[in-house]
This record gives sequence, structure tokens and C-alpha cells, in this order.
Amino acid sequence: MSFTKHVNLQTNKYDNSLEPTALDATVVDFDGVVYRISTPTSKNVILFSLSWQCFPELVKWGVHGMLKKEYGPYFSAETENGYNFTLEFNLKVLPEAKEDREELVNKVSLIKRNLLAQPFERAFVQQRQFEDEKQPNPTPDLMQIQYREQEAIYIQAQHDRVTVIFSTLFKEETDRIIGRVFLQEFVDARRHPTIQNAPQVLYSNKEPPLEIRHLPELQSLGDNEEVGYVTFGHPVPSSLYKTRCKRGNHIPNPTLSRLPPLSYKMFKSLHAFENASTCTSFSESLE
Amino acid sequence: MSFRSIDIDAFDEERLSEKEIFEFSHSGGGEGIEQQSPEAVFASVQVKEVEARSLLQKGNAANALTIAIDNPPYGLDRDNAKELNAKIVMDVLNSVKTTDIPLIVKSLSSEQQDTLMKYIYRGMATPESSSSSAILLNWHEKLTEIAGVGCIVRVITDRKTV
Amino acid sequence: MSNTLRSYLTAVRSTLTAALCLTNFPSQVVERHNKPEIEALSSLEVVLNPLTISRNENEQVLIEPSVNSIRISIKIKQADEIERILCHKFTRFMMLRAENFIILRRKPIPGYDISFLITNFHTEAMYKHKIVDFIIQFMEEVDKEISEMKLSLNSRARIVAESYLSQFA
Repeated sequence: MSFTKHVNLQTNKYDNSLEPTALDATVVDFDGVVYRISTPTSKNVILFSLSWQCFPELVKWGVHGMLKKEYGPYFSAETENGYNFTLEFNLKVLPEAKEDREELVNKVSLIKRNLLAQPFERAFVQQRQFEDEKQPNPTPDLMQIQYREQEAIYIQAQHDRVTVIFSTLFKEETDRIIGRVFLQEFVDARRHPTIQNAPQVLYSNKEPPLEIRHLPELQSLGDNEEVGYVTFGHPVPSSLYKTRCKRGNHIPNPTLSRLPPLSYKMFKSLHAFENASTCTSFSESLE
Repeated sequence: MSFRSIDIDAFDEERLSEKEIFEFSHSGGGEGIEQQSPEAVFASVQVKEVEARSLLQKGNAANALTIAIDNPPYGLDRDNAKELNAKIVMDVLNSVKTTDIPLIVKSLSSEQQDTLMKYIYRGMATPESSSSSAILLNWHEKLTEIAGVGCIVRVITDRKTV
Repeated sequence: MSNTLRSYLTAVRSTLTAALCLTNFPSQVVERHNKPEIEALSSLEVVLNPLTISRNENEQVLIEPSVNSIRISIKIKQADEIERILCHKFTRFMMLRAENFIILRRKPIPGYDISFLITNFHTEAMYKHKIVDFIIQFMEEVDKEISEMKLSLNSRARIVAESYLSQFA
């Protein structure tokens, strides 16, 4: 959502008919991401900074290389105080064509996705080394990304797959129970014949999966009821590797984020109040 | 009530306590079981227990039931005796075959039927102490068929709780 | 319908029929007040013996009669955590709109999931056997409703999971 807002902001700025104006906006995103878009020195130079608590971990897995590659000309040597890195856009030296500009805006708006994609790409590369008999087998790292205060993503390449583990923490008891139902369904849904090719999914409550069980910070959690782990084992045949990594393939279906937490059907069944809830039913639109 | 530290209504002279209500409803009772001390009542229930259990072992459930529900302990501060008597009645009810229930119920007098109904409700109010609510529901159904809804009304209104 | 459910509902029905003998009865404590005695509890002599009907530990009905009102509290079956949440949401939804259900109480008695309060004014305005039917029907429907909601929650989770995973297929 903040992406759209962000994109709008930027499109306006690149619109030739508009005069550059002074600007200082702070935008927040999920997972504690903070963006700041400002024009501290001149109206023609826009600074775009990002802060994310897991950024130091991402640096370890080579995120700087990605930033240089994708956003190279705009990558600023100086970083704004309190942020992890800064991109600098001088409005006078931007691409001329409208499409190019939109493309640039798009690219900037995907920055969070690109940051998080870096460790995944790394794991896919390492996994390919396993497949390639000419190269020696690498020693894959267990990459931990603490993307939220108490929740993390663990990524590790293995000889036939890439394993991704999400730790989930629901504080509310209701969330925990409903969360368990939904996550458990991921495991069961894979048995459906049309999605047999999807990654293998495992879900466990309290008990960390084998790959990360040795981590000391998880052992200290003990049997905290609130914690769960979702494991995606992603077998990647090398032929599919390229297409899998194509940008945008992993951007989730926009309808999913708009789902109301409980279905309209639940309320509708109380016949005394036909119009009790006006939220639309996702499941009905699919049927 | 929270802002008051004393429940002033309790000092109202017109207000009746539980004891007064109970005594009032037995003003014409004379030398009933409610006159005895709690210990004496408990002892008499223990006597009944022995009697009822021996009948039960002989397979005479109908007579065991009559003994168990005759002269039940009621009144205030007799919880021990009440509990023991309820236990005897539950044991008897649980050991009767489903098909025998209507016959036994029909053989009881109207007062005995009322007492039995009181014990059935008591048994359901404390499900953990009775083995199965299904059996009690079965008894309840048969008893209502034979004794009618009036029997339940008498349980609701009678101050002589068991 | 299983046998115990039938005899359970029969027992509730006959007990309710017996207990619904209500009459207009103004308060003895405060002049010109007329309150449901089972709620006010201002004079004990008009409050009668409460009765419990139980199918098992998790399914019970408590009927508390008095001279001008009776209170019926129902404990609804909750087999697992999901059913507990759904039951809570369902009863809460109803109780927030209690005025539409006329005899519904806004809060349940502690230990129970939903309570009804029937006064003599209700029995004067409505047929007694219809009120009893309503309670029995409610008890039948609520179990059905909760298991249906549970199924729809599961199928919803399935759809979400499938549409997510189908991106990889």
C-alpha cells in the first residue's frame, strides 16, 4: 500500500509539467521499514533513504552489490543519519523518456522486495553449484534475516533444494489459533493435484525444524506457545531456475492482502441481519 | 453496590433469610426429619446406605430405590447427609436396566416421584459425580412421561431441597 | 440426531414448560418498581430452585426460575480452540444486538456462553409454547451453525493456501 503512495509521490515529481517543490516525507511500510523522501539541499535533488532493522544482515549476504547493480548511478556515497542507505536523484539528469522514468519509479518502489530477494538469489546460486558437477560443492550458509523484532526468515541451500523457514509469532491467542488453521492448510493444500509442483510445505508449532534447531536463540524460547515455523522446501530444477527468479513472479496476488479476516458467510448466516457486514466475500468470488 | 461498603438491604426487617423461609414452609411439619441434628440425620442415611446396597446386590433395584429416596435428608447445613444420599440414589439409578425404568417409576407414589425428580436434577447439576448424564436424561424423560410436568413444577417450588 | 441429544432437548423442553409459570409481581422492596426478581434478588422468598440439565460436562442448560421471570443459560459445545473462538464470536454478535432478540440477555452468566431472560411481560405478549420452541430451536441451530462456520473457515484457509501455492505450480 505504501508502495502505491510512494509511486504516486514520485510520478508527480517526475512529471514535466510540475515545478520541483521542497519535500520532506517519511513513509512507513510493513516489517518496520521506514522510507524518507526529502529535498534537503536543493529542490532538484531528491534523497531517498531507507531504514530496516535487518539491513546489517542483508549486507552480509551481499546486498550492497545488488544495490550498486540495480540502482548504481543513484547510489549516494553519503548516508542520511539514522538510515541504512540513501539514493540520490538529481532531477536534471534523469532519463528523458516517460517510459524510462516510469520504469525507474517502479524500480525504486520495488526496493524492499529487491533487498529481501538478495539472500534468496544467493541461495539459488549456491544450490546450482550443487547441481553443477564441474564446480566444487559450496558450504551453504544458513542465512538468518531478522526482518521483524521477533520473527525471522532462515534460508539455506541444500543439494537438491532451497529451504526457507519463516518463524511466526502471534501474540493474541485468537490470532495464534486462526493462524495455525491457515498455515496448516498450506501443508494440506499441496496435496491438491494441480499444485503438486509447488514447494513442499511443513508447519510446526513450538518445535523448530531440524535445520535451525541448533540455534541458541531458538532454544531459549523453550516451548513458547506463540511461536510457529513454516518451512518451504523449494526443489529447483536448473531448467526452471531462470524463470523462477524473474522479477515480479514473487509479488503476491493483490487480492490476498485485501481479504477480511473472517468471511462474510459467517455473518450472513445470521439471517436476522442481512446487511450486518458489507465486506465482500473473497471465497464467493472465487467459486 | 460497589460504592457502598455495607449491604444496607440486608438489615431490612422485612427481608427474609434463607433459614426463615425454610422454617416457614415447614411450620406445620411437627416432628419431621428437619428437627433432628445434622449428625443424627447423617447416621440415619448411613443406615439406609447399607440397606439399599444389600438390596442392590440381591438385584432388587426397585426396593433399593424406594429405600434410597424415602425420608430424604433436606434442610440447611446437612450437606454431608445430602451428598451421601444423592450418591446412593445415583448408584441405584445407574444400575437399573433401561427397559425396567417405566415399571419402577409407575410403582412409586406421587411423593416418591417428586423426590426422585429432585435427585435427577441434583445429579445433572454435578455431572462429574454421576457416571453418565445420558442415564439421568433417560430417567428424566420416563418420569416426565408418567408423572407429568407438575412433578417438575413441584421440584422448582419445593423449599425442601435435597 | 443422536439419542442423547433428543432426550437432552426433551428434558429442556419439559423443564422450560414447567418453569415458565410467570405472573406480574411488583417489587416488595421499592414501591412502584417492577423488576425481574431473578436479576434483582431483592427478596429471596420469590426466587425458586435453580435446575440444571446436562448432556455432558460441556453441554448444559441452567434454568433459574422466580415468580415473575426466569433466566436460561446455555453452555454450548466447544470441541476445540477454533470452536471456542467461533462460539465466542457468534454469541457476542448476538448479544451486541440483544434488543432485536427481545428475550436475550446482554451478558451470559459466568460459566455459560449465552443467557436468556424471560419476564412475565414476554409471556403476556408471546405464546409460551412458541418461546419454548424458540429456545429449543436455538440450541439445535447453534451447534449446526458453529460446525458450518468451522468448515467454511477451513475451506477459506484452503483457498488462500491453494491460490498462493498455485503461483509456483
